[in-house]
Amino acid sequence: MSKPILIVGGGPAGLSAAHMLAQLGQKTVLVEKLPHLGGAPIVSGYAKLVPSGEWAKDAIGGMIARVEKNKLVDVRLSTTVKDFKGEPGKFTATLSDGKKVEAASAVLCTGFTHFDAINKPEWGFGMFPDVVTTAQVEQMISSGQGVRRPSDGKKPQRVAILLCVGSRDRQIGREWCSKICCSVSANLAMEIREELPDCHVYVYYMDIRTFGLLETKYYWKSQEEFKVKYIKARIAEVTAQGDKLLVKGEDTLVKRPITIPFDMVVQAIGMDPNVDNMLLSAVFGIDLEPHGYIGKANSYGTQGATSRPGVFVAGSATGPETIDDSIAQANAAALAAYATAQGAGLKAAE
Amino acid sequence: MAIHEKSLIRPENIRSQENIVIDGIDVSGHWSTFINARVITDYNEKMQDEIQALPGGENIHRCWQCGSCTNSCTVNAIEPRFNPRYWIYLIRMGLESELLRDKDIIWQCVSCNKCTNICPRDVVPEGIMKATAKWLELKGHTEVNPSTHFDEAFMEQISATGRIEEGKTMRMLFKRTGRSLFQDWLIEMVKRIAVKLPMHYVFGMGIEQIFPPRVSGWKKRLGPALDDYVHESEKKQRQALGLDDLISMAQAEVRPAHQKAAE
Repeated sequence: MSKPILIVGGGPAGLSAAHMLAQLGQKTVLVEKLPHLGGAPIVSGYAKLVPSGEWAKDAIGGMIARVEKNKLVDVRLSTTVKDFKGEPGKFTATLSDGKKVEAASAVLCTGFTHFDAINKPEWGFGMFPDVVTTAQVEQMISSGQGVRRPSDGKKPQRVAILLCVGSRDRQIGREWCSKICCSVSANLAMEIREELPDCHVYVYYMDIRTFGLLETKYYWKSQEEFKVKYIKARIAEVTAQGDKLLVKGEDTLVKRPITIPFDMVVQAIGMDPNVDNMLLSAVFGIDLEPHGYIGKANSYGTQGATSRPGVFVAGSATGPETIDDSIAQANAAALAAYATAQGAGLKAAE
Repeated sequence: MAIHEKSLIRPENIRSQENIVIDGIDVSGHWSTFINARVITDYNEKMQDEIQALPGGENIHRCWQCGSCTNSCTVNAIEPRFNPRYWIYLIRMGLESELLRDKDIIWQCVSCNKCTNICPRDVVPEGIMKATAKWLELKGHTEVNPSTHFDEAFMEQISATGRIEEGKTMRMLFKRTGRSLFQDWLIEMVKRIAVKLPMHYVFGMGIEQIFPPRVSGWKKRLGPALDDYVHESEKKQRQALGLDDLISMAQAEVRPAHQKAAE
């Protein structure tokens, strides 16, 4: 029996890697820095997931349960990796509680960090209580409270959703598209229209990127069935007037400035590299790619390979990623880590 | 002119005072020029619903502004202000004042339906042009346009006899649009047809002028049914546009059945 495989991060990717390896009869050590498993969908209280439409607490909850009760998975909560030495087949990880773990290989499933909307002060987050993020609206829905204005608890009559907050913006050093926010926002727009049929929802966009089959399910459906209105405009600033929020910008299709009153503004926040990536890079001795995510080799010859042999990466640690794709990548990386643990990498080297 | 870019600004947005002195300085005329902001300050959320309540306007909410309709438009080729894509957007956002600027050209759609065929989202822009022209009329923004006069002349004959007689339709249209029947081109056309026309056709047409043909049993069953349908549809449309006094309509609805029968 080979040494266990170290999995870092207990979100969708980490949970599915642990499950895949357990199915192969491989022992794993799952290290999670927070006191509970589940990653962003659970920690940030997502409501219905895109594109399955299942509640996060059911879908991800099921993944947590099957890992927690599996004896081959050694879960270490509230723990981080402080040091990682050795070579493929014989790594030694030192954890934050001082314990040492022998590992044959490692899979990093360290995920992303939500963009902190306070870094775009012109859009009013942190300044006006009724300017919220998509994550907050998810929480309003998943908690059962419903979509309400934080300032007075009233049902909003008119909601603006601003896309690309913390994405595609060189001004704040974030050139990437966070990929999933368009679909998530369209999904939230439909949730709002369903809960509050009298509430009009406007989406301010630069481009709509409900890629692939999500086009029908989110963009088209939100327009055709839920009458969500899409306006091509990047908002200049959000200010307040009385208890209304004033959204200013240019409606590019009519070439006119706009100053429209709203009850609530929702910012579709993007996916930042995990705030701990510099640390992870130093501890694991791996390279980051230019945006700050964990660098990944191409997929033609390897699966989830980082710059260090024996250390693999999967999910949104490598860039903005959907939950479904994170899970697929985690399974691929788990298999690559398993092959290393079985000595494949060493034999090939000899 | 002090500001040469004035030509780019809509005249109604330029404001200046004829006689004004500020702090002893005369700033009359163009020296006191101000330009009104062109800012959109609100959306009229009713407008899309109103257009959707009219025949042809049902799919307007699907539009994603690709511009295929305007690109393919027959009328746009000769009248650049004819821009279905733009009007659809104005209606969706409820920018009524902007739409009204083009109120006199919207009805000019020739219904070639190139836009309908090319539209990737099945918006049916041709239908929206018709619905919008109708909306402008119902709201009193435009006079009854020639196209509507034609439709009405057509429908009145159908309602009365279940058939149309083309010559009469033309006469009614010319009369309603205030045009003389004695147009040179029409006289020429009739002359040339008359030369080739067999005598029994001429005779038949004459008879039909005196005894208009009608569908048998039209006045008993089909005619009234059609009239009811048209009346109901028009009532719904007016209601959707908020044109009728809602209270009196509600009262009409709750009249006892025997009263209705008595009428």
